[in-house]
Amino acid sequence: MSLKTEVVRGIFKENPIFRLLLGMCPTLAVTTLAINGVGMGLATTAVLLGSNLVVSALKKVIPSQVRIPAYIVVIASFVTMVGMIMEAFMYPLYEALGIFIPLIVVNCLILGRAEAYASKNSLGKSAVDALVMGAGFTLSLTVLGIVREFLGAGSIFGLTLVGEGASMPVIFALPPGAFITLGLLLALINGLTARRSKLSAACQDQALAKREG
Amino acid sequence: MLIDILIPIVTMTALAVLFAGILAVANIAFSVEKDPRVEEILEALPGANCGACGYAGCAAFAEAVAKGEAPVNGCPVGREKVAEEICRIMGVSGEQESEAERHTARLVCQGTHEAAKTKMDYHGVQDCRAATLINGGDKTCPYGCLGLGTCVRACPFDAIQMGDDGLPDIDQELCTGCGKCVEACPKDVISMFPSSAEVMVACNSKAKGAPVLKACKVGCIACGKCVKVCPQDAISMVDNLAVIDSHKCTNCGTCIEACPTNAIVRV
Amino acid sequence: MQEILLIFFGAVFFNNFVLNRFLGICPFLGVSKRIETSLGMGMAVAFVMTLASIITWVLQGLVLNKLGLEYLQTITFILVIAALVQFVEMFLQKVSPTLHKALGVFLPLITTNCAILGIALLNIDFGYNLLQTIVHALGAALGFTLALILLAGIREKLEINDVPDAFAGIPIALISAGILALAFSGFVL
Repeated sequence: MSLKTEVVRGIFKENPIFRLLLGMCPTLAVTTLAINGVGMGLATTAVLLGSNLVVSALKKVIPSQVRIPAYIVVIASFVTMVGMIMEAFMYPLYEALGIFIPLIVVNCLILGRAEAYASKNSLGKSAVDALVMGAGFTLSLTVLGIVREFLGAGSIFGLTLVGEGASMPVIFALPPGAFITLGLLLALINGLTARRSKLSAACQDQALAKREG
Repeated sequence: MLIDILIPIVTMTALAVLFAGILAVANIAFSVEKDPRVEEILEALPGANCGACGYAGCAAFAEAVAKGEAPVNGCPVGREKVAEEICRIMGVSGEQESEAERHTARLVCQGTHEAAKTKMDYHGVQDCRAATLINGGDKTCPYGCLGLGTCVRACPFDAIQMGDDGLPDIDQELCTGCGKCVEACPKDVISMFPSSAEVMVACNSKAKGAPVLKACKVGCIACGKCVKVCPQDAISMVDNLAVIDSHKCTNCGTCIEACPTNAIVRV
Repeated sequence: MQEILLIFFGAVFFNNFVLNRFLGICPFLGVSKRIETSLGMGMAVAFVMTLASIITWVLQGLVLNKLGLEYLQTITFILVIAALVQFVEMFLQKVSPTLHKALGVFLPLITTNCAILGIALLNIDFGYNLLQTIVHALGAALGFTLALILLAGIREKLEINDVPDAFAGIPIALISAGILALAFSGFVL
């Protein structure tokens, strides 16, 4: 399991948002500004890393029947810690993310990784898994954030890119825009990946035909 | 300083003990019977309870699979690995043996275009379920495989391909024993067999010897020779069809030689 | 009285939990394929939301505030919710198998539902008293159910229509939800 395959897996094949469709709530809520998306992604990655490490370290100790509550407690502890750090050192980001910081604890991505991966693999592998899935999550949030910020406010990461009098469709910074943007992005990704697999299927057909003919 | 650390620890411990206590009591007070397969399937699922399968949580999906309502590959988070696990669980549930043995699907018919006669020229919908409605399909033998590929389409693992001889070919390596083809076949001519059963009666016909001979060159005519020669006494005649008891069969193959129509084969 | 009504209708329409606050999206997309499952989910959510709100509110006042342990809020609340859901499921299974058949399957899904933890946290953030908490929870649950049923109705119709392959499934559901959110944002005071 090379590092490259892991990274590709986390960012593309098993991208938490665009492929697994986990962690939708923060995705839609915080991506009004790209920087918020990055901040949420990094916070989630931090929690994911911490919880994956602890769950992996304690996998032999935790009895199977109480594993879900145990994982939840571990995740909640890390969320509390990350929240406290953000409140102390990154207050504007903390305020912007608001209620979604404690809600990281119910992000299905983190519990899902703990249950499906960290509880069955070594410390090292769990750490790598946390980092790549977190990277995929952060990247997706950033992409969505950039699109919505540009379309809604005409800026990217705070840098205004449009003229003074330009009025951007502010709807994209509002809830309806969040749903629609994510839906369109997902459709785009589905369309691109389907075309790739259709293309490879067509290539296979041709190769088979050549072999038989 | 110490008291600042002690208070939260004591409080959380107290709360945890309280909740655990309530749940433990509730578990005993409210216990109920459950289908064991649901538990097994639940074990195999990722447990994220994300609802992406369309069901409300992993438990709902597990129950639906056990009832046969949900597709075995319905979990987008677990995908192939989980689907295979579920197939194994569902496939093994029939036999209660001391060890869970791998079961695969096999076609119980050798009625190729060459061997089996047809009673009509069928030009209808190319689906066995449709064809069987028209007087049981185009084969003279009412129990035979119609070869229109309903099973091919039913297999979620692409393990079945239609052969040139008019019979489906089930790849025993790719088959996961999920049983979807067995369900789909309107003629009930696909059955699950344990992988240790190397000798099988490849005929589904419950008709008497004479009509079978008229309909197909390789059908079981219930002559009883296999029953007589089997050193293990593993074969019996049920409804004009030889049935091999897999518990007794040692795969010696004596019956294969004895069968006059070559209805018994080694897989 | 007016305040109570404002909180209730606010939670249903103006600050709809799903379409406005983005809480409970995962089950929103997952369960909204059929109207009957949506109704069941809505009822289960209403039940758990109200109970969870009451218990967490009491715990916050009696334990966390009194002992200065506000920072343990997240951990305590999520534990309460997990335990509550487990308890309710066992209780339902024994006491009413029919109700369990109807609602019980949704309960495990509710544990990791951000809507439940969300409402518990919001009740404390807004400083509601017990009555306001209960009304808020009921309103939020009703709003959630409303959004769920509306989207389920739309998706059932979409099933039998010709949707382009790339859009089939979640993308078109999200766009429909977006238009629904647009409609709900018209409910501004």
